[in-house]
Amino acid sequence: MALNMVSVRDVPGIPNQGIVRNLAAVEKHMARVLLIEDDGETAEEIRAELTDRGFDVDWSANGIEGLDKARSTEPDAMIVDRLLPGMDGLTVIETLRKEQVRTPVLVLSALGAVDDRVRGLRMGGDDYLTKPFAIVELVARMEALLRRPAESRETTLKVGALELDLIERTGRRGDRGIELLPREFRLLEYMMRRPDQLLTRAMLLEEVWHYKFVPATNLVDVHMGRLRHKVDGPDEAPMIHNVRGAGFILRAVP
Amino acid sequence: MRHLQFARSNTFRWAFMVAGVFAAFILVLFGFIYWQIDGYLIARSDRVITAQLDGIAGLSPERRLEATEERLRQDPRGVQVAAIFAADGRRMIGNVEQLPAELRIDGPAQGADIVRIDRGDKERQTIRAIAQRMTNGDVLLLGRKVDEASEISHVVGQALALGLLPGFLLCLLAGAWLSVRAQRRVEEVNQRVRRIIAGDLSERLPHRAVDEPFSKLAVIVNGMLDEMETMIHALAGVGNDIAHDLRTPLTRARLALERGRTNAHSLEQLQAVVDKAIAGIDQSLTIITALLRLAEIENSRRSAAFDDVALQDMLREVGDIYEPIAENKNIALHVEAPHPLSVRGDRDLLIEAVANLVDNAIKFTPEGGTVDIRLSRSGDETVVSVNDSGPGISEQEREAVLRRFYRSDKIRNTPGVGLGLSLVAAIVKLHGFRLTIQPGPACRVEIACPDRRD
Repeated sequence: MALNMVSVRDVPGIPNQGIVRNLAAVEKHMARVLLIEDDGETAEEIRAELTDRGFDVDWSANGIEGLDKARSTEPDAMIVDRLLPGMDGLTVIETLRKEQVRTPVLVLSALGAVDDRVRGLRMGGDDYLTKPFAIVELVARMEALLRRPAESRETTLKVGALELDLIERTGRRGDRGIELLPREFRLLEYMMRRPDQLLTRAMLLEEVWHYKFVPATNLVDVHMGRLRHKVDGPDEAPMIHNVRGAGFILRAVP
Repeated sequence: MRHLQFARSNTFRWAFMVAGVFAAFILVLFGFIYWQIDGYLIARSDRVITAQLDGIAGLSPERRLEATEERLRQDPRGVQVAAIFAADGRRMIGNVEQLPAELRIDGPAQGADIVRIDRGDKERQTIRAIAQRMTNGDVLLLGRKVDEASEISHVVGQALALGLLPGFLLCLLAGAWLSVRAQRRVEEVNQRVRRIIAGDLSERLPHRAVDEPFSKLAVIVNGMLDEMETMIHALAGVGNDIAHDLRTPLTRARLALERGRTNAHSLEQLQAVVDKAIAGIDQSLTIITALLRLAEIENSRRSAAFDDVALQDMLREVGDIYEPIAENKNIALHVEAPHPLSVRGDRDLLIEAVANLVDNAIKFTPEGGTVDIRLSRSGDETVVSVNDSGPGISEQEREAVLRRFYRSDKIRNTPGVGLGLSLVAAIVKLHGFRLTIQPGPACRVEIACPDRRD
């Protein structure tokens, strides 16, 4: 397949992990994350990774203690496992939501069925990740939860030289106009609302195409290839970056 | 012990009960017959003696004596009783010693005990008798021995013995036979089922004539066993396939890691090795995820969450998503959905099904081919079909492609987990739709959605 894909190695100056680390640094303060997960080893891995990426992680191994910590420390975000000793993860979230605590929560679970997922989200979870997961997926979703785009009333989105007119439904990069098909427009709009943020394939499938499953073909890569072809001209510095094994980032050219 | 079991069996007990009821019925019947015949014989002999009495009573006293004597003479069987007693009770003529006390004179015929004097030892007899006082004061007694009744009862008893006993025994025998037969069959079924439980899946229940209920049941159970055997073999096959499909990427990952550990000298080299290993593990995880998803759909009872799904929009959406992929392969992808048709179902699952079909079609169609997604009506069905100009599916492969992990030989080199069509089949089944695959070149896969009847 002749895909217009660029591996992260082809993007000079962007080491694999640097992107995400830089992103975390963009935050005004170190985001505090409460992790409620009963498996010590998993928890340690998550904690180490998130700490590396600039998060301040507090860990609790059971539901009741986790709920107390959530109340007393008021974290910026929470990662909650579903099956916990003491108190079920969903009950923890439900209790917090009843107390009007709006902290974004990522639900972790070994239960991957669609119904479980729906239930997890209905009980007040903001996102749902099924075990086993790629750690980079978890980090990307945490970032996304912490930086959920505010519903802006702007009619034009801007990232560096890239502009997207939401009324005219046209794009432009500097002086160059970009013709976009509706599906390309949707994808670019989603990315421009989340600049400098790692967007994994699963996230794009769920959010842009509302796919509740992972298709056999690399749909996302093909669509992204098309879009990149239009956004990044042959002699322009690339704005859409493929992070190997993880996903894509839209960044302004420095 | 086992031979006595039949006596305790339900069938035998039933047979015993039936035989008992049968015997009781026969007894009552024969009793009734006896009672009726007895009554009839008595009435008849009463009529006879009453008529004879009237006859003799009309004669002169001398002729009466003669007639009485004559009557006794013409009775070789000795059933007749006749006598004339004088007014003072003295016997004038006849074979009765004296007038029985219980016999009412001038009454109707009745039973009476008498002592006969014409037999040795003055035999006592119970007879039907009638007595009348004549105009000259004599008492005329006529009687008749009614031992026909006891003869009849003897005959009836014999008939009873001849009919009832064999009948009863026949019932018991039939019961015992049925019971033993049922017992034997149950025992045979038992043994075979035990063998099936022990793991011999090729074992079947015995059956004879198809019309017999027991055999019918056996045929049904055998059908069930056939289905289960196929399923279990399929599952075992799937197990092997899974093991194989999981082992391949895991082996690659392991090799990469093993070699990387000794050979990698720089961070970049090590990272490349790790990437390779992760790719292998991811592939394994993809297979597991697909399997779990399949199981989830197959076990799903989500019809409660069904809603109207606008197929026209849905198909256009799928077409839109897959257009770039088709374009990359120089395949023309068309959506022909001229009518806004909708069905009842789960939109997410239906998208998944159609997307899988389109994904497959694009994957297996050579460059320059076409893939069409069509929405149409046929009879009372709404039909979604995906047509491609690929190599198609042969008749033999048709069933097989719906099996988990099956990948046709022609396409074995094309990457893909091979669960796609099984997933589609599961989704279609969940909806109560029909999945058909047209064999031959230019594959056509159809999802036929019958209209709801409510």
